Amino acid sequence: MKIKDLCEKLNADVHATGDPERDVTKAAAGDLLSFIIGTVSEGSAWITIQAHLNVAAVAVLKDIPVIILASGRKAPPDLIERCRTENICVASVSESIFGTCKRLSDLGING
Amino acid sequence: MAAPVCMEYRIEGNNFMVAGTASNNIKNTLKMLGIQSDVCRRAAVIAYEAEINLVIHANGGILKAVISEDKLEISTEDEGPGIPDIDQAMTEGYTTASNQAREMGFGAGMGLPNIKRNSDLFEIESTPGVGTKLISTVFFNK
Repeated sequence: MKIKDLCEKLNADVHATGDPERDVTKAAAGDLLSFIIGTVSEGSAWITIQAHLNVAAVAVLKDIPVIILASGRKAPPDLIERCRTENICVASVSESIFGTCKRLSDLGING
Repeated sequence: MAAPVCMEYRIEGNNFMVAGTASNNIKNTLKMLGIQSDVCRRAAVIAYEAEINLVIHANGGILKAVISEDKLEISTEDEGPGIPDIDQAMTEGYTTASNQAREMGFGAGMGLPNIKRNSDLFEIESTPGVGTKLISTVFFNK
């Protein structure tokens, strides 16, 4: 699914669009940065409640094209700026991590 | 490649907001030099985790990357508190990170294991009260 469609289906508040046409087929959820670094498949969407600059650093490291901030977490300006520079989509959703994972799973995106 | 390319960074302790800058720089330099992408990816993880360790555990230190003909060596040296039990520190899930670091998602207890997993050679030496030295090597064309 294209990132722009994914954001639309999740009713996400998009702070930085990244590459809206890029396809995402997998997702990972977690708030421990090194756990994500050690386990996530490159190219996955990442659902987290961590909303700070280092999230972008991890996304760059693992070629994560879209970061979904769950439970209404907002992206601070420095995170948005870095995501724009690195062409990463960052978006907030009101649903929890669990709810977002379920929605993604229903859309055919799995871990 | 004629002479080795050396990069050296002084990493500031406990500054979470700039953490990752040096390792990103190393990754970009490797890409610019045309190093194979698999090596770039592994090196990026090693450099990032090593840099974060300096920030969250060691009150800062030196992060170095040396790119030579056939390999990349990433090393750190610090004068932090040292690691009393390296085997324990190498166990996934074990961490001594501060609450502040953990709240930000650091301190998963996977830093050193992630470095080791991505290294071809991994050496760590630590003396409590003196500091820690880490050397990770990745060979090209493996």
